[in-house]
Order: sequence, then structure tokens, then C-alpha cells
Amino acid sequence: MTVFHFFNCAILTFGPHAVYYSATPLSEYDTLGTSVKAALVYLGTALVKLVCLATFLKVSETDSFDPYQELLKALIGFIDVAGLYFALTQLTHRNISQNHKFQAVGLGWAFADSVLHRLAPLWVGARGLEFTWDYILQGLEANANLVLSISLAALGSLMWLRKNKPKTLIPIIYACAGVVATMPSITSYLRRGLGWHFPKVVGFELFTSLVMAFISWQLFSACQSQRSS
Amino acid sequence: MAQRKGSDPQVLESVYSVIALVLVLFACVELCDGATVVDVYRLIQYDISGVPFGSRLAGLNHHAGSLHFPPGSDLSRTVLIIPLRELNISFVKEYISQRQPLGGLLFLLPQTFSFGNEDDKGSNRQDHGHYQMKNVIAELEQLLIHSNIPYPVYFAFEDDDIEAVLADIKKNDATGQPATATTGGYKLVISVPEPRKIVSPTITNIQGWLPGLKADGDNHLPTIAIVASYDTFGAAPALSVGSDSNGSGVVALLEIARLFSLLYSNPKTRAKYNILFGLTSGGPYNYNGTHKWLRSFDQRLRESIDYAICLNSIGSWDNDLWIHVSKPPENAYVKQIFEGFSNVAVELGLKVGLKHKKINISNPRVAWEHEQFSRLRVTAATLSELSVAPELLESTGGLVDSRHFVNETAIMRSVKLVSESLARHIYGYQGKNIEIFADNSSLAVNPFYIRSWLEFLSRTPRVTPFLSKNDPFVMALKKELEEHTDEVSVQHEVLDGMFTFYDSSRAKLNVYQVASVTFDLLLLLVLGSYLIVLFSFLVITTRGLDDLISLFRRPPSRKVKTA
Repeated sequence: MTVFHFFNCAILTFGPHAVYYSATPLSEYDTLGTSVKAALVYLGTALVKLVCLATFLKVSETDSFDPYQELLKALIGFIDVAGLYFALTQLTHRNISQNHKFQAVGLGWAFADSVLHRLAPLWVGARGLEFTWDYILQGLEANANLVLSISLAALGSLMWLRKNKPKTLIPIIYACAGVVATMPSITSYLRRGLGWHFPKVVGFELFTSLVMAFISWQLFSACQSQRSS
Repeated sequence: MAQRKGSDPQVLESVYSVIALVLVLFACVELCDGATVVDVYRLIQYDISGVPFGSRLAGLNHHAGSLHFPPGSDLSRTVLIIPLRELNISFVKEYISQRQPLGGLLFLLPQTFSFGNEDDKGSNRQDHGHYQMKNVIAELEQLLIHSNIPYPVYFAFEDDDIEAVLADIKKNDATGQPATATTGGYKLVISVPEPRKIVSPTITNIQGWLPGLKADGDNHLPTIAIVASYDTFGAAPALSVGSDSNGSGVVALLEIARLFSLLYSNPKTRAKYNILFGLTSGGPYNYNGTHKWLRSFDQRLRESIDYAICLNSIGSWDNDLWIHVSKPPENAYVKQIFEGFSNVAVELGLKVGLKHKKINISNPRVAWEHEQFSRLRVTAATLSELSVAPELLESTGGLVDSRHFVNETAIMRSVKLVSESLARHIYGYQGKNIEIFADNSSLAVNPFYIRSWLEFLSRTPRVTPFLSKNDPFVMALKKELEEHTDEVSVQHEVLDGMFTFYDSSRAKLNVYQVASVTFDLLLLLVLGSYLIVLFSFLVITTRGLDDLISLFRRPPSRKVKTA
């Protein structure tokens, strides 16, 4: 019964990634290699981030929200963006379109994040006898994270790979990318600064991820139509 | 397809690394983190001549239920949680006597009975409710001790965690949904190994002497023995602290030893009597330890004992104490003892009564400690607040015998009574009104000494089979007796074969809140439909973005495949 629950939570956490891969044209053009590479880049980035966090951050005994520390953490969080930049521009991919490239990178990125951050707690916690909603919420969070990662990758590809984008859209693209990149800090602030509970935070994440996905989709299609016209 | 084949090694590599990660995690993770962990104490499990009694199981893994279960429901896989505040003794009686199937029983004791509870100590509040509950619990204890229960029975103390759990369970039960495997609720898990027999339990007797002043040429001084048995027996061995039975007797004995050691340390006040102090074990089991102890004496020593005073349950009386003897009251020695006591009692404003109970040699039951002496023709009497002889395993310091119900002043008065009458006897002041252990003198009874020892005894479970040979408690008793007396010796014996005990007397109870199988099934259904919807949505949107024609042509075929 508990293994059943673990199975359910695992489906919720990792299922969407697989569905995304198989449902979109990614599977037809065989972009798995790109995703795997992006995941490896994520691992490297996570390592660098860990080192930075360990070097620059004090260990806080209390669970309170310290603005200075959080700012530092947010800055370190931008290493993610650098990693994503590396994954999008520097890696030599097989001949795939930009459309697929950012999706594959975002997918690999999100999957690596889920594996790294959620698999272990899931394995430890969800198989125990004790029932909590936490792991289901965590799975939902993984979904939100997938959407956010792909949005960020899309915005990144707009910023770094697309040369001829409409001038008016550029500030919006950068602003959106900034918002998406600082999402971890925002949720951390909500959780610790405002004392929101986990379900509320997850709801917020889901909502913002959908909004950001919609905006970046609109931006992307705007650029697309501008180019095609 | 050729392209896909080319990427296979990469896929395999990533899969391998994931598998390795999972294996590593599996290796270092242990699965034991309950929401609530409660200390629980198991009902004793023992055999009398091979006949099983008590709880016969220790491991527990069942759903929790309350007394508000719907009538007619199957409880064979349910642990009933019963707070003793709302105990319905007839229900428990019925269940146990009819041997109805149960998953287990968990009794919640009020905090009053906890020996860690520091409130209202020494205030001796005569709380009517408490005393009523005491009677109920005593009845329950006797019932549990004397029945053979084929499921685990545990005791725990009420606290906020378990109260919250219980409130939830009650709410669940009130809605008519008993917690079983399909509807969720709480699961109680105690993982302990199968209880094993305790091989040859030892009983440990401690004795100490205060030698009298020998006159020239006279080698054989008469001896007076003060004896108290120190061990207990109760429904939960880990909770049987026996403050009154017989913690009070032990405390009184130590205090008497202290007082007389003060007198005997000065040759001028040393009397021509030896005083023998004995702390005996095996009290609940027909005073088996006393029996062994007396057998170990040589004939001459046994004959030199003038009389023995056994102290038993002298901590919670108001005004009446009883002297129990086995010889008829007309016997000269008995008369002498009784007169000595009653004279002092009158001065102290107490009442002492004499009770005579003949011994039946053919009956193995020994109700009082002095009967072991009487069987060997040594004059002895038991001082006790109990007016009638207790049955086997009754009044042996069980669940209800906690510090809360023991009165220090009662012990102090008993000490004074015994030591005063003893002193008058050994110094030859019978019938004279002399107060040797007067209050405020250097020989006054020390209330702090009594209180500290009473506190110590009231938090030390002392069921003999669970005390090891060199248990810290036994060592502490020995050390204390060494402070006051000479020639302290410890005697280890094996408890006679009639009783067999089983171990595992305490455990940790994990309370898990569990989801039901139906919930998980429902969740699976929801997740499945979510993924299907997501799939369809993605196919419709992205392929449309990719290729306008495929948006209209492909989704239907895909949908059919996934459905």
C-alpha cells in the first residue's frame, strides 16, 4: 500500500516529463541526447551552486527570513541562468531547430532538478507508513518547475539565439526572464518571510508557472510571427 | 529510427546512473519515522506451573479503534485504545472472559500514575475521583493478571499527542467508519521480537547486622530481625514501582537501621541484642526470597532470633495498623510483641490491632512474610495497614500503587512506632513512658531521608525477574545498608520453578497516519487522467505549432492510442 503511494507520487513527479517528451515533436526528432546533456549541465551547475552556497552563506540556525542572505542566495541562483546559457549556446547539438532545442534543454533541466531534489525525499518519505500530503504537493511542485524551466529556456533562447526580435519586446523578454529566474527566491520568501504553508506556496507556484508559460509562449509566437512575416 | 538507435548507449548510461543512485539511497535509508512515538509498557506475560497468564504477544501492527466502534464490527484487526478515565470495566471483562478476538489493547493511564509526574507530590490531596479510579484500575489489573490474553496489551500515559490521535479516531468511529485496511485512519506499530522466557530469574536478598554489646563470657546474644521485601509485581512490570507495597516498608526499614546505627555506634548505648536487617526479594511469589534466606541460616542463628518484625505496606493508613501473627494471641511472645507495640501506639495516638491467621502447612500460599518465619518456628509478626491477608499477586505494588497515594507521615509514624517499641524491648524499658526517638532530638525520625528514599523507590520498577543480579537498584540498597550496618551480605538465589516470566516489558509505539488503499486508487485514477489530458493538450498545441496540418490530422490517432 505504501509502495503504491510511492508509485503514485513518482508518477506525479516524473510522469509529466515523460509525457512532455513523448507528446511533443521532441520524440520524433530524437532530442534525448540534448536533454541528457542539459541534465549533465544542470548537475555541474548544481555542484557549482553548492560550492558557492557553502562558501558565501552562513548557516542560519533559525528558519527566519534574512534579507541579506536571501539576496545572496538569489544572486547565486543566477548561476542557474548561466548554466542554462551554456546549455543553450555552447553545447553543440545535432541539427535541431531552435524550437526543439529549448524544449529539450528545459525538459532535461527540469528532469535533472526533479531527480536531484525530489527523488530522495520521495524514496525516504513516501514509502513510510505515515501518510502526508507533502509528497503529492511536492509532485505538483515538480510540475510547476517543469513549466517554469521550459519557460525560462524559451526566454533564454529568445534572448541569446534569436537575433532579429522586435525591439519593443526585448525589455519584456528580459523582465520575464528575470522574474522566472528569481522564482526560487520568491517562493522562499513566501514560505519563510510570510510564513505561507506548503499547499499555498505550491498553489502559487502552479499559478505563476502557468502565467509565465502563457506570457513566454505569447512572446515566442510574437517573435516567430515577426520572423515569418 | 536509425538515429534513435544511435542514442541508446547514452540512454543506458543515464539509466544505470539512476539505478546506482537508487541503490545507494536504498542502502542508507531506514524506514522508521512515525509521526508520533509513545513509550508503552507491556502487560506482564508469565506462566504459573505451565499455565499461561497475561498478554501472550508483543508485536503489534494494526489499525487503531476507540470504544465508540459501531456495534457488530469485527475488531480482530483493531487495537482498541481505552483511556482509563472512561473505562467500562464490564466491557473489558466481557471481552476477555469470552475470549473475543481483538487486535490488541492499549490502555491510557492518567498522568497521576506516572512516576515522572512531579505535581501534587506530598500534598496528599484526597481527591475523590482519583481514589475511585484507583479502585477501578486495581480491579482491571487483577483481571488482566489472572487471564490468558492472546493479543498484545499495552499501557501508556496520556499525553497531548496520543490524545489528539484518540480524538481523531473517535471522530472517525462516530461517523460509523471503523478504521480498516480500506478506509484509512491510524496505524499502531510496535516492532519487538517475540518475547522470550527469562532463564532462571534470580532473587537477591540483602542483609545487614547491628551487633549487640557482648557481655563477658556470653557468646550468644539474642537477635531481633527487621524484615521487608522490596520487590513488586504488577500488570506492567516496567510501571510496578510499588510505593506503598512495599516501598514504604523498605523506607521504614532503612530509617530504622539508620536510627539504631546511631545508637549502636556508641558502646554506651549499645544494647545486648543483635539487630538483623533483611531486605528480601520474591515477596509477591509467596515470599520465596524470605524462604531461601531463612533456609540459608544455620540452626543456631535461627534459634537465636527472638522475634522478627516484617514491614509490609505501611504508607497509606490513617489511624489503624494491624499486627498479623500466626501464633494464637495467648502465646507469650506474641503477647509481649503486641503489648510493646500497643503501649507505644497509645502514646503516639494510633490504634494497633492484632490479627491471628493460622498457617496451613499443606497450602503453598504464604500470605504474609512472617509466615515464612513461623513455618520455621521463629516468632514473627507483620506490621501492615492491610487488615486481611492479600491473595496471590494482590497488593504487590502494581499500577495504582504510585507515590501519589502514599503518605509520608504515615511512614514516619510507623517508623516511630516500630523503633520506639523495639528500643524499649532491647533496653528493657517495657511499660515505661520514655521517648527515645523524640522529635527535634538527634535521634528524631528524619523526614527528608524518608522522602528522598520514597521518591527513589517510587520511580524504580522492581519486578524481580527483570532485575539483573547486579542491578543498580540492588546495589544502591546494599550501599545504603552498608552505611548503617555491618557485615552486609548479598545472597543470590534462583526463584523457584513455579513461575516463568517472559521479557520485553517496554517498547516504543509508532503511531502512523495512513491513507487507505481506496484513496491511493483514486489518486492513481486522477493522476492517470491528468497525464492523459496533459498528453492530449501537448499534442494539440505543440504539433500545431510545429506543423499546421498535423494539428488536425494526428491528435485523434494519438488519443486512441493512449486511451
